Amino acid sequence: MELFKPEFGLVFWMFIAFLALFLVLAKWGWPAIIEMMDSRADLIDKGVAYAQEAKAQLDSAKEEAAKLLAEARNQQADILRDAAKMKSEIVEAARAEAQVEARKVAEAAQLSIDQARKESEHQLRQEVNAFALMIAEQVLRKNMQDDAAQRQLVDRLLSEVEKKN
Amino acid sequence: MKKIIAVVIAAAVLALIVLGYINTASHSAHHGSEAKLDPKKEIFSHLCDNYGWEVPFDHGTRMPLPIIVQGEDGAWHCFSSARLMPEGEYEGFTIAPDGDYAGKVVQLRPDGSQYRPVDLSITKNAAALLISALVVILLVMALKRHYKRNGMKAPRKATGLLELIFEFVYTDTIVPIMGREAKKYGPYLMTAFFFILTMNLLGLIVIFPGGANLTGNLAVTGVLALATFLITNLTGTRHYWKEILWPEVPTALKCPVPMMQLIEFIGMLTKPLALMVRLFANMLGGHMVVIVLILLIFIFTNSFGSAAVGGGTAVVSVLLALFMLALDTLVSFIQAYVFTLLSTIFISMAHEGKHEPAEAKNE
Repeated sequence: MELFKPEFGLVFWMFIAFLALFLVLAKWGWPAIIEMMDSRADLIDKGVAYAQEAKAQLDSAKEEAAKLLAEARNQQADILRDAAKMKSEIVEAARAEAQVEARKVAEAAQLSIDQARKESEHQLRQEVNAFALMIAEQVLRKNMQDDAAQRQLVDRLLSEVEKKN
Repeated sequence: MKKIIAVVIAAAVLALIVLGYINTASHSAHHGSEAKLDPKKEIFSHLCDNYGWEVPFDHGTRMPLPIIVQGEDGAWHCFSSARLMPEGEYEGFTIAPDGDYAGKVVQLRPDGSQYRPVDLSITKNAAALLISALVVILLVMALKRHYKRNGMKAPRKATGLLELIFEFVYTDTIVPIMGREAKKYGPYLMTAFFFILTMNLLGLIVIFPGGANLTGNLAVTGVLALATFLITNLTGTRHYWKEILWPEVPTALKCPVPMMQLIEFIGMLTKPLALMVRLFANMLGGHMVVIVLILLIFIFTNSFGSAAVGGGTAVVSVLLALFMLALDTLVSFIQAYVFTLLSTIFISMAHEGKHEPAEAKNE
């Protein structure tokens, strides 16, 4: 049947037509269109990626801001706490220092008081000594006016020495 | 409102197409009533090639086309088919009314025997091929021009449809299958797709620029399948050839009797053969069913001899034919797509560098 017998002439023309069509389109048709499609797909992909990135950036920026804010708050609290601590420390230190100083002053006062007392005691003793000697001189002068009494005294003293020896 | 207009126009176009079928058929029926209606001859005269192109509403006259033949003496002859049609003889050539070369140009020998010359005539099918190629070029260039003028702006209307089809076939089918090789083989595959689609759709239009049963012709589908076959095998990788010549099966199966090689070799040939026959049979079948449905009107009218029966059959037949034509429009697209898809798969399978999946190898 003719339908199932490929005719040579038609094969020939089909070959020519298809080859010509292919060459024309492969040279001037498809590459330009494919390139256009690819670049458009690229552009769309890039656009989507860019949008996603921008959104991610926005999200992360918000997060960052929140984090920064929280951090600042923490820092503020820390600083306040430190300041309070420092204040109490300073006060404490001042108080301690003042106490030490006061004690020193008190001790020095005590020392000088003691010294003054000792000195006055010493002086008193010397004065008393002087008075006692003076009195004793007066008493002796009165008592030793006669020789008898003098001999008596010397005797007694000699005997005392003798006794001692 | 626009939708209604579109539907009306579509209906009118389809009606015109069917009318064309009825018309051609009625004329043949008219001739047939003088002679006798021969449904088989009628069907095949519509499906086969011809040296002239039917003119709408007049089955007798045909647009003349150039006949190019090489005679037995080696000389080339080129003349209009009008000199031979409906009958005649020119420079010793005539169209054989019957015999081995019925309907073909033959050279008459002095002793009365026929010599079939080398026939490179621009027949109806050859002319339709050239027209289809031209249409494809115009369509593709229109799309390209749009991009040149409008940059990346998406086209609208007809150009938009073109882009939609292009995207569907190239971006969504060829690229996922071929990957990086898509750019290299895309032009061939896209050319094949658009050429087949245009030929299919033009074949459904009965009047002049269309009406040729192109893709329902083995010469046309054969060349297309041969192109895929050649690309597949000429660009096949070493792995592809190893799978054919020394497949990974027990040695007893491939040596000393090359059983597997034989099977692989047959598989190599059946792929393009299937491509060729699938397209051919689908398109031929579609055309044939429409013609048979229309012919039913005249067969019934003739056999029952009543206009009422003919009229009733006409209504049913035309509705069925309309439905078939709508289906053929779908099939036109599907078959062009299937051809391209399978070509893509065959070519990319021949480029597989590594081991194919187990199930693919077992096929």
